[in-house]
Amino acid sequence: MSMKNNNQKLILGIYDDPDKVLAATRNVRKAGFDIKDVYTPFPIHGIDKAMGIQRSRLGISAFLFAMTGLLTAVVMMVYMSWGDDWEINIGGKPNLHIPTYIPVTFELSILFTAFGMVATFFIVSKMAHGKNPTLMDIRQTDDRIVIAVNLHNTGDSDAINKIFQSNGALEVKERDLSI
Amino acid sequence: MAHGHEHEVVIKDEKFVMTAKDKRVSMILMGGGLLLALIGILTNHSEHEMLMKRIWANLLADGYFFFIISICATAFIAIKAIANAGWHTSIKRIPEAMGTFLPFAAAVLIIVLIGGGSEVYHWMHHGITDPTSPNYDKVIAGKSWYLNQGFFWGRLIVFFAVWIFITRKFRKWSLQEDIEGGLSFFDKTYKTAAFFTFFFAFTFSMFSWDIMMSIDTHWFSTIFSIYNFATGWVSAITIMALTAIQLKKRGYLSIVNEDVIHDLGKMMFAFSIFWTYMWVAQMLLIWYANLPEEVTYYLDRTKNGWGFHFYLNLALNFIIPFFGLMTRTGKRNTWWLSFVGCILLFGHWNDVYLMTFAGAMKDHHGISHAPGWGLMEFGFLAMFVGGFIYVLLTSLSKANLYPTKHPYIMESALHDVGV
Repeated sequence: MSMKNNNQKLILGIYDDPDKVLAATRNVRKAGFDIKDVYTPFPIHGIDKAMGIQRSRLGISAFLFAMTGLLTAVVMMVYMSWGDDWEINIGGKPNLHIPTYIPVTFELSILFTAFGMVATFFIVSKMAHGKNPTLMDIRQTDDRIVIAVNLHNTGDSDAINKIFQSNGALEVKERDLSI
Repeated sequence: MAHGHEHEVVIKDEKFVMTAKDKRVSMILMGGGLLLALIGILTNHSEHEMLMKRIWANLLADGYFFFIISICATAFIAIKAIANAGWHTSIKRIPEAMGTFLPFAAAVLIIVLIGGGSEVYHWMHHGITDPTSPNYDKVIAGKSWYLNQGFFWGRLIVFFAVWIFITRKFRKWSLQEDIEGGLSFFDKTYKTAAFFTFFFAFTFSMFSWDIMMSIDTHWFSTIFSIYNFATGWVSAITIMALTAIQLKKRGYLSIVNEDVIHDLGKMMFAFSIFWTYMWVAQMLLIWYANLPEEVTYYLDRTKNGWGFHFYLNLALNFIIPFFGLMTRTGKRNTWWLSFVGCILLFGHWNDVYLMTFAGAMKDHHGISHAPGWGLMEFGFLAMFVGGFIYVLLTSLSKANLYPTKHPYIMESALHDVGV
């Protein structure tokens, strides 16, 4: 993401049909333009492939969070039951014994994964309470789908406009986004 | 949606042809299996009663394993129908064909119950509920309101009849839809599936108590039926994935894209964890509570040579699928998915083997010693595998390989799980 410019020039294509959006997105990408994002009020199947989005690494973070939870649980339980300074006899079970460890390890792994993934998702998506999201077009929250393309050269505007129009855009407009 | 895709989807009739090699392989499995089993029986030197118990236990374990796989294939169709799911439509003929094995597995179970019931099932022993008999068992006599021959056979016949009837209906409607089209078969399946799911939830529980849990008649577990369901369900899904992969490899089912296979892999992964959850939950509570009437079940299954099968369960049914199918690559590589799938099927057979044999092979002292896997076990298993493959492929060859006029066939063909 370029933070040097205070202004980001965008060209927006506004649609009302997910099939048209898929076709337009593919064609814009095929023509070599830089798609910023596609904003949609509902999920569109296949849009990630059409945009050429890289695979999410959320799964890897989930695994790492799970391992953190697992390790935390095991370290905590071993520490608590090590030696005889805090030995509690429950049902005559041995103090350090694998079956007793299963539920706590399982629960903490899941707890860490769930919380960790939610936190990661919020950070990656830059979502926070009180933060006003930048909307491309207010109608993207209702019944319109917006394709936003970064306009690096003003000369590209006509070509992109043509692709948008030929794929059934309701409206095409340019916008300066101040960051 | 279709235009712009890399390959165009064409819905057309597609017939599977069972080759001579398919027939030969399944015949060799059946015949060779029977031969191995006979050699195993003839070369067995244990006393007659234990040998008979082992033969019946073999038939029971294999019959039960393939029965729950077949009925879970029908449950798969029913659950997908009431959930209004569409992604699986292109592989729907595979569970439909698996269901056609149901009558054969039911016949095996009935033969075992009639022929070997009194040897395998503690509650079927002679005079067990008769206070004057030396065999009298007070605990089992107290359970005789449920476990008596009349009620047992009555409910079993009702379960078998309803399950086989609905399984056949599902398949019949699906095949008829290929010819006539329209929504009426879809609607009928939907309504019947709602009833079946409800009926199945109760009756499968009782079925698992009757056929499996009542071997150890003194013992009981309230989580047992869902644990058995998990065994059948994950095995059924694995067989669907393996069959779909094999058919694709032969050039059939081009309509099934890799995302559908990926989703089957996800289900194999998820339900392996589900199975482990149930398996551990049952064991853990019994271990905690340490009640004599409950722990005997696990003592029977971890001591006297059974421990190997007990820990093998954990390795084959949890550790290997958990790490093997965790990654996206693991689920999308069909060779690897088939490899893990075969391990998984063998692992669940081992689970059913342990459930059955440790209870059924008890001697006069009430102790069972692991006989180990011999020619008999592998022979009977090969026989059932051969029979199952033969019935599955025959049923597949009798109809289109996918329902061409199902309303969700296009959704399934274009199924997409994202990047």
